[in-house]
Amino acid sequence: MRYTNADLLEHLASSYVLGTLSSGARRRFARLTADRFDVRTRVAHWEQRLGQLAQSVPQQSPASQVWTAISARTLPESAQPVAGAAAVGGSGLVRWFKPAGWGLGGVAAGALASTLLFIAVPTLFISSDQIAMRSGERLPQSYVGVLSDAQGNGKLLVSSLRQGKVMTIKVIGPIAVPASGRLVLWALPANAPAMALGTVPTTGTSVSTLPDTSEKLLSKVSKLVVTLETDAAPSQPSTTVVFSGNCAKLW
Amino acid sequence: MRYLPKTNAGGRDLDAERPHISGFAKNGQRSPCDVLILRDMKLDTRSLEDLIASAAQSDHKCFATLYDRTNRHLFGVAVRILGQQQAAEDVLQEAYVSIWKNAGVYRSEIDGQTIQAMTWLIAIVRNKALDALRSRGRRKESELPDWADGDDTGDNAPSAAQSLAPSAMHLLEQATQSMHIEGCMGTLEGSYRQSLALAYYQGLSHSEVAAQMGAPLGSVKAWIRRGLAKLKGCLDTRGVMA
Repeated sequence: MRYTNADLLEHLASSYVLGTLSSGARRRFARLTADRFDVRTRVAHWEQRLGQLAQSVPQQSPASQVWTAISARTLPESAQPVAGAAAVGGSGLVRWFKPAGWGLGGVAAGALASTLLFIAVPTLFISSDQIAMRSGERLPQSYVGVLSDAQGNGKLLVSSLRQGKVMTIKVIGPIAVPASGRLVLWALPANAPAMALGTVPTTGTSVSTLPDTSEKLLSKVSKLVVTLETDAAPSQPSTTVVFSGNCAKLW
Repeated sequence: MRYLPKTNAGGRDLDAERPHISGFAKNGQRSPCDVLILRDMKLDTRSLEDLIASAAQSDHKCFATLYDRTNRHLFGVAVRILGQQQAAEDVLQEAYVSIWKNAGVYRSEIDGQTIQAMTWLIAIVRNKALDALRSRGRRKESELPDWADGDDTGDNAPSAAQSLAPSAMHLLEQATQSMHIEGCMGTLEGSYRQSLALAYYQGLSHSEVAAQMGAPLGSVKAWIRRGLAKLKGCLDTRGVMA
C-alpha cells in the first residue's frame, strides 16, 4: 500500500495512537512511523491530543522491585560490577569462535572476506564523504547557524542536513518567554526577501519540516535572525531583532 | 515476570535504595539532580523536559528523579489497559528502559506544536501496554475487562481494585471536564463517546468494542472515527492543539 493520501495517514495515525488497529496493521504502521518524519509528526500530534485523556486515570504505585529491575538494566556500564561482566565477556568470546570449527566456517570465511574487501576498497560500498563522516573525521553535510543575543551570548543552534527537509532548533542558552507575541526565525538571503523558517522554542529542542530541501532554501543565505513578532503570519521580519548569527555550510 | 534478584553481583542491596538515590551521573560527574537528593524532594523544580534532557546525557540520577515523579501516573495507565498488576509492572519496566534509551529522541516541539513531556511518556507506556495486550491474541468477549459494571463471579471476575475503578465513560467525562471541552464533547451521542472511552481507557480494538457494546463493527468504526474528529475539533476550538 502506498501511504501518500493525507486523510488515510491521519486516520491511521489517530487509530494507532488510540490503539484500535489490529496487531498486524499496528506493526506495519509502527514501521512506517519509524521510516517517515511526516508520519511521526502526525502520530506525535495525536499523542499530544489523546495523552491529555489519561490525566483522569487514577494513579497507582508499582512494586518497589520494578525500579530495582529498571535500574539494573539502565545503570551505565561504569557503575556495573566488573567481575561478573568480565566473566560473561570471556565465555561469550569463546562461544563466538565455536561455530567456525563446527561447520559454519564457510559463513565466517565469507564474512571475513567481505570485511577485508570493505577495508581494502571501501568506496565500493559507500562514498568517501560517508567514510570520513563515519570515521569521525567529518560531520555530515549540513547547514548550521549559531544565534546570539546582542551581548554575544549563544542562544540557539539551528541545523539541517544539506539534502534534508527537517530543521532542528536547539536552545543552548536561557531565553526569556516574551510577554506577548512569539519569536520567529528568519533566513536572510543575499538578494531576495527574508524567509520565515518557523517559531523558536524557549526551552528544549524543536523540529519542523521545511517546504523544500535546505540546499534549495539556504544555499544563498548567510545570515539568520530571530525577531519578536505579534502578527500571526508576518511577511517580513519586524525591527525587533532578538538574536542573530551566520548561516554556515558544514562541508 | 522480569524482576531481577534483590542484590546485584556487586552485593549492593538495591531494594534498600529509593529510586532517587541510586543513580549515577555520566563519567562520575556531579549530576544536576544531586541537589534534589540532598534537599527535600518537594523543592524539585526541574521540569520533566529538563529531566528527560539530562537522562539523554546518561545522567542516571535525573532518570531516577523522572521515575520518582512519573511512575504512579504511568503505572495507573498500564494497569487500566492491562487489568493485571503483574502484566502492568512488566510493561512499566519495559517502558522506562525504553525511555532511558530513547530520551534523546524526545522533542518538546514538533512542527510548531508543543509536545508535553508527560504525553510523550504516556504514549510510550500505552504503546507497550497495547503491544502486550495484542500479543496475548484475540480475547474472548468474556475475557474483556469490565471495570465498573462487571457482575461476573467466576474466574474472570474483576479484582477488588477493578471493581472499585471508575468506568471508562466516567474517566472520559472527568478528562474532558479538566480540559474544559466537556460541553463540546457533550454534543456527541453517548454511543460515540462510549466507544471512544472503551478504546482509549481499556485498550480495546474495534471488534472488541463492538463485542462489548453489542453493536455492529461498522457502526463502532464510524463512531470512533467521528469521536476522534470531534475531540480534535474541540481541542482546536480551545486552542489546545491547532
